[in-house]
Amino acid sequence: MKTLFIHSLIIVSMMLSAPVLAQGDPLRVGMSGQYFPFTFVEQDKLKGFEVDVMNAVGKEMGREIQYQTANFSGLFGMLESGRIDTVANQITITEERQKAYIFSEPYVYDGAQVVTKEGNTEVESVEDLKGKTVAVNLGSNFEALLRELPYADEINIKTYESNLERDTALGRVDAFVMDRVSASQIIKEKPLPLELAGPTFSQITNAYPFRNTEAGQALRDEVNAALTILRDNGTLAAISEKWFGTDITQP
Amino acid sequence: MDVLNVEYMLGLVPVLLGYLPLTLQLAGVGMVLALILACLFAVVRVLRIPVLNQLTIVFISFFRGTPLLVQLFLFYYGLPQLVSALTVIDGITATIMGLTMHFSAYMAESIRAAIVGVDRSQTEAALSIGMTNGQLMRRIVLPQATRVALPTLMNYFIDMIKATSLAFTLGVTELMGATQKEAAGSFLYFEAFIVAAIMYWIVVEMLSKLQHYLEIRLNKAYSR
Repeated sequence: MKTLFIHSLIIVSMMLSAPVLAQGDPLRVGMSGQYFPFTFVEQDKLKGFEVDVMNAVGKEMGREIQYQTANFSGLFGMLESGRIDTVANQITITEERQKAYIFSEPYVYDGAQVVTKEGNTEVESVEDLKGKTVAVNLGSNFEALLRELPYADEINIKTYESNLERDTALGRVDAFVMDRVSASQIIKEKPLPLELAGPTFSQITNAYPFRNTEAGQALRDEVNAALTILRDNGTLAAISEKWFGTDITQP
Repeated sequence: MDVLNVEYMLGLVPVLLGYLPLTLQLAGVGMVLALILACLFAVVRVLRIPVLNQLTIVFISFFRGTPLLVQLFLFYYGLPQLVSALTVIDGITATIMGLTMHFSAYMAESIRAAIVGVDRSQTEAALSIGMTNGQLMRRIVLPQATRVALPTLMNYFIDMIKATSLAFTLGVTELMGATQKEAAGSFLYFEAFIVAAIMYWIVVEMLSKLQHYLEIRLNKAYSR
C-alpha cells in the first residue's frame, strides 16, 4: 500500500494538467450495459442502439471507441474523475446536469412512459399514479419528472439500480416509468407480462455529457460535427429503424 | 418464463467462466496483501508499539466501521476529486485496495486474538532463554497462532471472494458484472444468476476442502 501511495504521488507530480485528447487517441465511452435495447450484452458481446451510434460517431471522428461498462451509479463518477470522456446511456439533458456538464446536440427525442403489469386496470395513465408505488432507475431523469407532477407527494417513488421491469411484472411495485421507446421494446421482445399505460407525459431529449473543460469542449465539438454528418446522410435514422422500427433521432 | 431455459444457462457457462479468473485474482491478491497487513497490525497491537498502536486502532476502527462499498467509492471516485492525477488508480487496483484494507481490519483482530491466546508461559520461556521480541513472534507465537486463526481467516477469504461482486460499480467486469449485463440482455434473471451462484458456490466449496486439508496438517503436532 505504501509503495502504491508513493507511486501515485510520483505520477501526480508528473501530470499536473490533464492534456487535450491527441489526434488518434481513443474516445472512452461509459455505459451501463444494462439498458435494453440501448446497451446490453449477449454472449459476451456488447450491443445496442448506443453502441451502433457511438461506433458510427467514432468512425466519423477517426477515433477508436473504448467502451467501459459499469453500474449506472458509477458512470458519472467515472466521467467526473476523468476515467471516461462521455456517457452513452440515454442521458437526458436536465438543468441540474447542465450546471455540471456540457452536452452534445441531442440524438434521441423521446417521452416518459408509465408501464404496468399486464391486466392492471387501476393505473391507465400518469394521473392514476396518485397513491401508488412507482419504480424508476437510480440516477435517471424519470424520478425528477415524477417529482414535478402536482400530486408528486402522493406518489411513492422507489429507485432501482436495475431489474425494475422484473419487479413490476412480479407486482412488487404498481408501475415503472421509463422512456417510451425502450419500454415498448421490452414489452415486444422480452418474456415479461407488462403493458404501456396511457400516452407519454413529458418530452425528453438525450445527448452525450462532457466535462466542462477545454478538452471536454473540444471533444464535444468533434462529436457534434460527427452527429451532424450522420444525421444528414441518414445513418442515425437507419440505426434507429434497425432497433426500434421508427426514427427516434428526430424531434 | 414458465420453465427454466436450460439451453440459455448452458450457453452462459463458458461466457461467465471467462470472468471467473478475474474474480479469483481480485480476491487472491486482496487476501495475500490483507494477510500481510493484518499480521503487521496484530503484532503492533500485541506489542503495543507506541504511536503505531494508536494509528492501527484508528485504521481498524474506520475500516471495520464503514461499509466496503463506501470505501470503494471513496478510493475510486473520491480521491481523484481531491487530487486529479489519482485517476491512475484503475478499477481493479481500487477494488484490491478496498478489499485489502477492509478485510485486513477484520483479520488483524482475529490474528491478535490468536496470538494473545498462545499460553503466556511459552512467551516467558522464550524470553528467559534470551530470544528477542522478533524471534519470539516468528519462532514461537506465530506458528501456534496460525493454527488457531486459520478457520476464521478462511472465513474472511470466502467472504472476500463474494465481496468482489461489488467491483462492477467501479467498472470492473468480473463474474457478477458479466452476469448482470447478460441478464439485462436476455431478461432471464433467474437463469443468469443461478449460473453465477453455482460458480461462486463451487469455488467456495473447493476452498472449504483446502481448509480441511490445512487443518489436518496443522493439527499433526497435536494429535497422537
